[in-house]
Amino acid sequence: MKKRERLEVIRDILNSINKNHKMKPTRLLYSSNLSPQMFKTYINELISKGFINLEFDKKDKKSFTLTKKGTEFLKEYKVIEGFIENFGL
Amino acid sequence: MLLYDLIVENKELLKIFYALIVAIICTFIVVKTHKLFKISFHNGIRYLRNAFLFYAIAFIIRYFLGVLILPGLNEIYFSLVRIFFEFFIIMAGFFLIYSLLWKKIEPEQNYYSLFNKRIAIFYGMAFVLAILDFAWQTGYFMFFSQISIFAYASIVSFNNYRKNGRKHKFLKFYLIAMLLSFGAWILNALSALYFEWDKGIMMNIYGINIIFFLLFLYGSIKVTKYK
Repeated sequence: MKKRERLEVIRDILNSINKNHKMKPTRLLYSSNLSPQMFKTYINELISKGFINLEFDKKDKKSFTLTKKGTEFLKEYKVIEGFIENFGL
Repeated sequence: MLLYDLIVENKELLKIFYALIVAIICTFIVVKTHKLFKISFHNGIRYLRNAFLFYAIAFIIRYFLGVLILPGLNEIYFSLVRIFFEFFIIMAGFFLIYSLLWKKIEPEQNYYSLFNKRIAIFYGMAFVLAILDFAWQTGYFMFFSQISIFAYASIVSFNNYRKNGRKHKFLKFYLIAMLLSFGAWILNALSALYFEWDKGIMMNIYGINIIFFLLFLYGSIKVTKYK
């Protein structure tokens, strides 16, 4: 099986959150098909870049939601992917 | 002959016009690629953006600041213009080739594309080449570096075209752009070495360079168009 590119992993994580509206870390980890270590790296990157938000409910349970920037990324993903492949980047 | 005479008579004005076109095209590409980078944080896009940013700066320095005829501008001013022009044009070439190769070289995510340890090596090399050209009063170090860069870029883009050319149509134009620039730099070197900057050859080089930038402009508009 072909290894997923960094951008594909990001797209998959954001797509999962987008479909479910809100996602708990464990469920997101399973759906992302990443090792816990890699998952943590990606999640930290996505939070720092403002693609996702980490929220806490009343019971102090964590969940991830998509930000406006994250939604924008998903919309423009095809364009970005096309640009990278057409320019050989 | 009338057109040729007109061009030769208004050489300096045409140079400014040429630089203006290139600077506008480069600025447009920089804005377009910067927008894509801000969403994707993709390093390849980031280095491509830097390449055109440096091309824009180089052309502005050479053809706007370099043709200024104002009182008080002395030899030191024009020497600095020349050194900076060479530095930025060499760096632009380095960024362009690095945008194609970064995946093989850069394992970690760099947060600064203009200042990181690998790019610092390129800055050092570009600076040394520009100084060597200035010391010897030639342009050969710049020509040699750019001919090597575009020869290698042509090979890389040919491989990309062979692998994915059917699926991604712009790869063909990318290869053409690299070959054109490779040819333009060879012509540039020949013009300096054997033809004393022949005006006819220089006009052809300007023409080829405009086509090179227009191809990238076409690519960045066409590929980013929403379907």
